[in-house]
Amino acid sequence: MPTLVRKTLRDYRRSLIGWTVGICAFLTLYLSIYPSIAANPDVYGDAALAKYPGALRDLMGGLDDIASGAGYLQTLVYQLFGPLLFIVCAVLLANRAIAVPEGKGTLELTLALPLSRSRIVLERWAAVAVGLLIVTVVSFALVTTMVALVDMNVEVDRVLAAHTGLYLLALLVGTLALAIGAITGRKAVALAASGGVAVASYAIESLAKNVDAISWLRWVSPFRYYADGNPLRLGWPVGDYLILAAAIAVLLFTAVRAFDRRDVGV
Amino acid sequence: MTAVIEAEGLSKFYGRRRGLENLTLTVAAGEVFGYLGPNGAGKTTTIRLLLDVIRPTRGRIRILGKDPRDHRVRARIGYLPGELSLEGTERAREYLEFLAQVRGSGRSQIPVLAERLEADLSVSMGKLSKGNKQKVGLIQAFMHNPDLLVLDEPTSGLDPLVQQEFLAMVREARNAGRTVLMSSHVLAEVEHVSDRVGVVRGGRLVAVEGVAALREKAIRRVEFHFDAPVPPEAFEGLPGVRDLRVEGTAVRCTIDGRPDALIKAAARFTVVHMVSEEPDLEEIFLAYYSEEEDHAYAGA
Ligand SMILES: Nc1ncnc2c1ncn2[C@@H]1O[C@H](COP(=O)(O)OP(=O)(O)OP(=O)(O)O)[C@@H](O)[C@H]1O
Ligand SMILES: [Mg+2]
Repeated sequence: MPTLVRKTLRDYRRSLIGWTVGICAFLTLYLSIYPSIAANPDVYGDAALAKYPGALRDLMGGLDDIASGAGYLQTLVYQLFGPLLFIVCAVLLANRAIAVPEGKGTLELTLALPLSRSRIVLERWAAVAVGLLIVTVVSFALVTTMVALVDMNVEVDRVLAAHTGLYLLALLVGTLALAIGAITGRKAVALAASGGVAVASYAIESLAKNVDAISWLRWVSPFRYYADGNPLRLGWPVGDYLILAAAIAVLLFTAVRAFDRRDVGV
Repeated sequence: MTAVIEAEGLSKFYGRRRGLENLTLTVAAGEVFGYLGPNGAGKTTTIRLLLDVIRPTRGRIRILGKDPRDHRVRARIGYLPGELSLEGTERAREYLEFLAQVRGSGRSQIPVLAERLEADLSVSMGKLSKGNKQKVGLIQAFMHNPDLLVLDEPTSGLDPLVQQEFLAMVREARNAGRTVLMSSHVLAEVEHVSDRVGVVRGGRLVAVEGVAALREKAIRRVEFHFDAPVPPEAFEGLPGVRDLRVEGTAVRCTIDGRPDALIKAAARFTVVHMVSEEPDLEEIFLAYYSEEEDHAYAGA
């Protein structure tokens, strides 16, 4: 592993441990109550939840069939909370790649090393990607374990497909934050812009299905490519995931180009 | 001699704010160059341009014969930033080892330099005192024995003993044929190690002068005491001798430039005691360049 990647991961170690533990605690807590929900279909079944308006249901995470294993997992983990936690984690890590050290002034000595600017961006990004992958792998292992323990009856491959989406979505928003940091050098801007995009994209995906006037926005919204394929039920949405991956590549390329051209720490 | 730093018509504007304007400067291999100027003069701007942290608005730089954008050249440069920022929970030693690893050299020098500067490397970086941060900064600048050292206010925050040790390190670097550019606010900090000094003010280089030449320009007060009264005529009209006062066995005067003629005149008598004040180069230097620049030297 390249030295700067290793060193950046070492800097991330504490946050990575924190996020992994936090996300796993959240998952354990919510997945362990599944048996009590499955045992009460008349309270949580489709008929009981049908009284909520469609748009509201969407905003609350579908509430679709939460008495079934896949429905419960989708609603509790992959609809809102999973993306939320993963995205916040990714953005915070990504902001520490360029914008935060630039603001603090610690990037100056990194730039004085015999490393090209492009390489600094790429290696720092790689550390974000690997860090996020660690969180993803551990939480995936936990979800599959819990799925087996509480008899959710969801195939491991489907969980893997859904978790891969989580990873790609979070990495995309993280890469956006990194790119804005590489372009502007301002962590507040990077944080606000990438957070804004994530929230807007979630809202669009939830509401646009019911509001025709904005339905075209779905096509540029990252959440569409994360959620529309419904991987827990339908398996790998390969095309959508490739689009997420392509968007990551484009943002990374933009970050490299922008950082290579500008003054640092002014 | 080959040039290690070559700047030609170098200008840097931050938006409309002037950082540096039209700097032309050459620093030769093996030279120690003192880069002086008051606050906001443009020292840090120049240095960050050399390291390719910021890019020039106009002008050209060659460093160690290369374009500063060529990242490989930085393996041969030791850089101490003016606003050194070291943060985090990592121990200073681990950070230095990381730098050594990226550069591919210098690891073995870490404990050696730490001992010389009395730096405690077991402390986490965020908890280092200002002086200790500066020491870590110096260690990382010197540890890979770079051909060129670019040091922005290297002595800031160091106590006098450590400053002396640092100056010794600079002398050793020069003796080993390395080149040094160091910035400072005051000449006194750099005059004992510098071969040449340059002054920037308001973004412009206003003077460059050899330290030896400055010494020659120096006015110094000299006193001779002899074993018997001496005739005033013996000292009158000597080149460079001014304000001559001969009182019995004592001769007092100021000399401007070389003391040679005075010493030879005095040598004809029996000298029992002699006092020569160390000239204040700073004073001369400031006088010298405020003549060139008409406006008064108000700052610093
Ligand atoms: N990032 C920046 N944005 C705008 N102006 C700047 C910036 N950095 C420096 N300047 C301006 O450029 C000029 C030169 O600043 P510089 O930092 O090079 O001075 P300096 O000689 O290093 O001063 P000091 O002795 O205080 O460190 C100053 O007028 C300063 O205000
Ligand atoms: Mg400065």
